[in-house]
Amino acid sequence: MDTLQGRGIVAGVAIGKIMFPVKAWDAYLAQYQQGTVAEETQKYHAAHRQAVQGIADAVVKAKATGSTETATILEAHQSIITDPVLEESILGRINSRASAPLAVRAACEEIAVMFLGLKDPYLRERAADIRDIGSKMASLLLAVPALEFPDEATILCAAEIAPSVVANLPEDKVVGLILGQGSETTHAIIMAKARGLVTIVGLVEGQLDKLTEGTAVILDGIKGEIIVEPTPAEVAHYQALVHERQVLAAENAKTASWPAKTTNGKRIIVAANIGNPLEIEAAVRHGCEGVGLLRTEFIFMGRDSLPSEQEQYEAYAYVVKRCQEHLCVIRTLDIGGDKPLPYLDIPKEENPYLGLRAIRISLQRPDLFLTQVRAILRASAHGNVALMLPMIINQSEILAAKGLINRAKSELLDEGVAVSTYVPVGIMVETPAAAVMAPTLAEECDFFSIGTNDLTQYTLAVDRGNQAVSYLYDHFNPAVLRFIEMTIKAAHARGIWVGLCGEMAGDLQATKLLASMGLDELSMSATAIPMVKEAIRNSDGDEGLARRILRMATAEEVRAILAK
Amino acid sequence: MIEARVVLTNKLGLHARAAALLTTTAAKFVSTVHIQGNNRTANAKSILMVMALGLTAQSELRIAVDGPDEDECLQAITDLIAHKFYEE
Repeated sequence: MDTLQGRGIVAGVAIGKIMFPVKAWDAYLAQYQQGTVAEETQKYHAAHRQAVQGIADAVVKAKATGSTETATILEAHQSIITDPVLEESILGRINSRASAPLAVRAACEEIAVMFLGLKDPYLRERAADIRDIGSKMASLLLAVPALEFPDEATILCAAEIAPSVVANLPEDKVVGLILGQGSETTHAIIMAKARGLVTIVGLVEGQLDKLTEGTAVILDGIKGEIIVEPTPAEVAHYQALVHERQVLAAENAKTASWPAKTTNGKRIIVAANIGNPLEIEAAVRHGCEGVGLLRTEFIFMGRDSLPSEQEQYEAYAYVVKRCQEHLCVIRTLDIGGDKPLPYLDIPKEENPYLGLRAIRISLQRPDLFLTQVRAILRASAHGNVALMLPMIINQSEILAAKGLINRAKSELLDEGVAVSTYVPVGIMVETPAAAVMAPTLAEECDFFSIGTNDLTQYTLAVDRGNQAVSYLYDHFNPAVLRFIEMTIKAAHARGIWVGLCGEMAGDLQATKLLASMGLDELSMSATAIPMVKEAIRNSDGDEGLARRILRMATAEEVRAILAK
Repeated sequence: MIEARVVLTNKLGLHARAAALLTTTAAKFVSTVHIQGNNRTANAKSILMVMALGLTAQSELRIAVDGPDEDECLQAITDLIAHKFYEE
């Protein structure tokens, strides 16, 4: 019937019926027995007390389990829920004959809207916290039980969804998620990814309205499509796909932990890209051999002061320990004017991708860099750690960074702090400058990791978020492939290993080409690991394919050869 | 009622942490405290209202205190701001 186009976050297929988790509100509200002003006031106070206690308990629990980040968020919730102006607004509404639950929601909504109008992105995000508190108290007042799911396959659909809801979804009933315009960095989406739940985001405003409770849909996470009220033929087609994937997943699960070798005997390490320490468990389940890219931005974002060395150390050590004997490659802060941090004072830039970001910030702010490096070096005592520098264009940047790394290391040793004796230092090859200069850069590196997302953007001068030109973005463009080839050759000539950690690493169409080009490691999101390993086992690893493809003139020709 | 005009010289302005310190300081006194800035006025005992002013570093603000302990209260708040909310 109708097809809605969004973006697939987890490449799977799901068939089920739409359920709106928030719709239930209206039903509960309709049943609510409103009392006198005095009764409503009393009910509000009781619910408020219970909610305050609930948050206080959660803070204690978070602190006891070492989740300092969660504890900080909860403490902010504590000061919001006890805010006198919020309370005044709620009681005022009850006095004007609003029911307690409506008064709570309306008062919170009014303040949330006020925050949404602020310029500061950090403060704008607080609107979500205020709404969360409003719903918490309102559910207590309405005695809304935890979400109940029907026995058939359900696809949860909402403009926004609380991370705690995603965390508690029953896996046997909820098969997919549709999250309105959700951005990929929200906690809910990070958790959905970690669970491998088929998720579609990025719908255009108004498209969600086309879906109603109970509508049958198919989610195609590969194409990013939502097929509304599918025909029996479509259902049959996708059911076969679901079945096929289940069989494949079961087979892959058996072999996921096995190493991957091409048929001509070349062993390729398959590691995980991780954006949040919590993702490591799922990555290990999917058979990762260590972490090829631990992004550290998570610990710097959504807060208003720099994370301490201790806080960073705990987060990094958590991942390092779970990598066991495998390598954990930790990338230093890769941030810029596109995601400004309130406490970093980076001015708004015309062109943040070409501005003050990543290693450039680290070298201008050695205090910040040294704190992070000290935390990484301390984490190295718990396993195998490598340190990776982002956005390098000059050898001098590597030398400057290594100077600071050595300083941090000798300071720690002087302080008698445990540090691994060998922490390799490498770089992301993600600028054309780094690819061209790879032979020179390799002199100062223990490894390379090719970041194809940025390398493609910078090489082709295409912002893939810009819909007018995103069709030009393609990691199979021969210009990008030649840069990859140059980087691999330079690394091997110097005797260092070279990996690839962009989305290309998880692209099954690319696997046999990457194997043929001689990469030593591929690092990708957890859910892609079992299938890529299988694809490596089915590749012959013969250089002939790479040689042939590197002669091609267009991405279309490359794809045509790979499709054979 | 007494009042004072001050400039926020700390790095982040009335951000979460500074706003929290300001409200807890104001809440220790029985006097009513209002902060005016960005052409709006907020109850200084409400962290939500204080944050919603969106006051950044170098903003000018007016503090008005009214009540039996207004002198000590105004002193405590201007001290806090003068010490840049004890940010490093």
